[in-house]
Amino acid sequence: MYVELKNVNKKFGNFTAAENISFSVPKGSLAGILGPSGSGKTTILRMIAGLETPDSGDIIIDTQKVNELSPNRRGIGFVFQNYALFRHMTVFENIAFGLEIQKKDKTFIKNRVHELIKLVGMEGFENRRPHQLSGGQKQRVAFARALAPNPHLLLLDEPFAAIDAKVRKELREWLKETVKKVGITSIFVTHDQEEAAEAADKIIIVNRGKVEQIGTPAEIYKNPATPFAAKFIGDAVEIENYGNFHGFKIENGFEKALIRPEFVRISKIEDEIYPYASERGTVDGVSFKGRSMEIKVNVRGKSFLAYHSLEEAPIFAGEKVSVLIYKMYLYNNEKVKLIENASLKNEQEFSI
Amino acid sequence: MEKSFVKKILIFLGILFLAIMLVLPLVSVLFHAFENGIKVFIKSISNEEALKALQLTLIAAGAAVIANTVFGIFASFLITKFSFRFKKIFSLLIDVPLAVSPVVAGLMLIFAFGKRGWLGPVLDYLGTKIIFDIPGILIATIFVTFPLVFREIAPLMQTQGTEEEEAAAMMGANWFCIFRKITFPNIKWALFYGSALCASRALGEFGAVSVISGHLREKTNTMTLYVEILFNEFELASAFAVSSILVMISLMILILRTIAEYKAKKWEDK
Repeated sequence: MYVELKNVNKKFGNFTAAENISFSVPKGSLAGILGPSGSGKTTILRMIAGLETPDSGDIIIDTQKVNELSPNRRGIGFVFQNYALFRHMTVFENIAFGLEIQKKDKTFIKNRVHELIKLVGMEGFENRRPHQLSGGQKQRVAFARALAPNPHLLLLDEPFAAIDAKVRKELREWLKETVKKVGITSIFVTHDQEEAAEAADKIIIVNRGKVEQIGTPAEIYKNPATPFAAKFIGDAVEIENYGNFHGFKIENGFEKALIRPEFVRISKIEDEIYPYASERGTVDGVSFKGRSMEIKVNVRGKSFLAYHSLEEAPIFAGEKVSVLIYKMYLYNNEKVKLIENASLKNEQEFSI
Repeated sequence: MEKSFVKKILIFLGILFLAIMLVLPLVSVLFHAFENGIKVFIKSISNEEALKALQLTLIAAGAAVIANTVFGIFASFLITKFSFRFKKIFSLLIDVPLAVSPVVAGLMLIFAFGKRGWLGPVLDYLGTKIIFDIPGILIATIFVTFPLVFREIAPLMQTQGTEEEEAAAMMGANWFCIFRKITFPNIKWALFYGSALCASRALGEFGAVSVISGHLREKTNTMTLYVEILFNEFELASAFAVSSILVMISLMILILRTIAEYKAKKWEDK
């Protein structure tokens, strides 16, 4: 393991920013620390960087304990949330700064900076100043500046938060590609699950200063380990009295359930396939989401979301529809459990 | 139609006001200064007393600029880049000199540093004197201009945040290098503007200095105090001549300040 945190704790006054944080990131991989704002994710990143000191616990980079090491000795490149480009310097000077501090010779600096400018696709912008760049361009420059002194580890704090949605997706792919191309171990922080899922090899979900779950995006999505992970990932809607729905019984110890849109199929009543497993519901609202329609449906006084393909017969607000809930997550304060629609199982058995 | 009429009236009133309140007195000072010819002018500003006063004023202003620039930078750094207890109170205290009348400020200093003041015995023991002496003039001038530089650069540093400094630190820059290459270039115009403001305020200081100086001729008289003395002694030509020197210095600073303000604004817009 290249980067390792072992039982790291950090408090700011009464506020616990990190409690027994332990995780590791293998060499050459891209890890995403995902959590809501105030979850402590940025503090964790800043502790790895050495901008904050842990109260206890070890931070290990490349088998060396770095707790006592000052930030600049850790071989880290850091990309700040608002890029923190030096505003009075040109793009070239920004990227060259770290190398100049290291007192590299002029031709080396020149070559290295040009190499990086090429890497981030900013040729021709060498003499621009930060205020003359767009958000995406600033991000690229910040990235190049962090990479210039050849760090072993790249840390990125909410790298896409300040960029508009359109460019964000593009930049995300670019970043992932470039990180892989350079082969540098990277950790980024985000509050956006989509961003984490798309860019990271491994996601570390953090909430209230604790690690909730660590895994690949698919693992986390499929098997949320904690109630928080289940609620935070996917557009789950929380419902009570889930035993009222066809095919689901109240289980001991689980009072609430989560339904993700992918767990629900909505069809016109005449197209209903499994009548015993299905419910009748009323469409509260329909919104276009690009590849599909997002439908807000009300069943027995509970509203939740479902997707509806554009290829199928269109559904309109106010319409009575058939609603099939395939499965749901039951959860209490500690555990999450996936249960499937029991009636559906029976129906499928009958029909065979 | 009506709009342009209102506009014209407002412009007219504005110019009239400026002419009566500013231009007229300004021109009259210069006019009276040279009324009796250039010789009288030169004579009244080149006598021992006038030169001494000019010297003291410049020293006091210089001391104020240096002390408050240094203090302003440190205080802004402290307030904006660190967090600590009593930060609000600290920031409030810095403003006290602007809030109290300079005369009161002078009295406060007398109570603190005077012979019967709290620090009087200590100063006596050390064999130095502050009140009714040059150090007192310097302290009074520094005191009344205390927050000016700080007030100019602190808000700027606040909006700029600490990320740039952190970024530089992460790359291994030491604090001096960070200040020289990152912080200072980012605040230099605001700093210059604040210093100029401080200088013009220091040159014109009268109240606190008047209380503290004791009006010892050729020793603790500043330009403003000297002008008052001349005026009270009906040496009007000399009073105007000395005043005109102050006016000219102030105008020069004003021009520099305007340039700095323009540059600072351009800088901030980035």
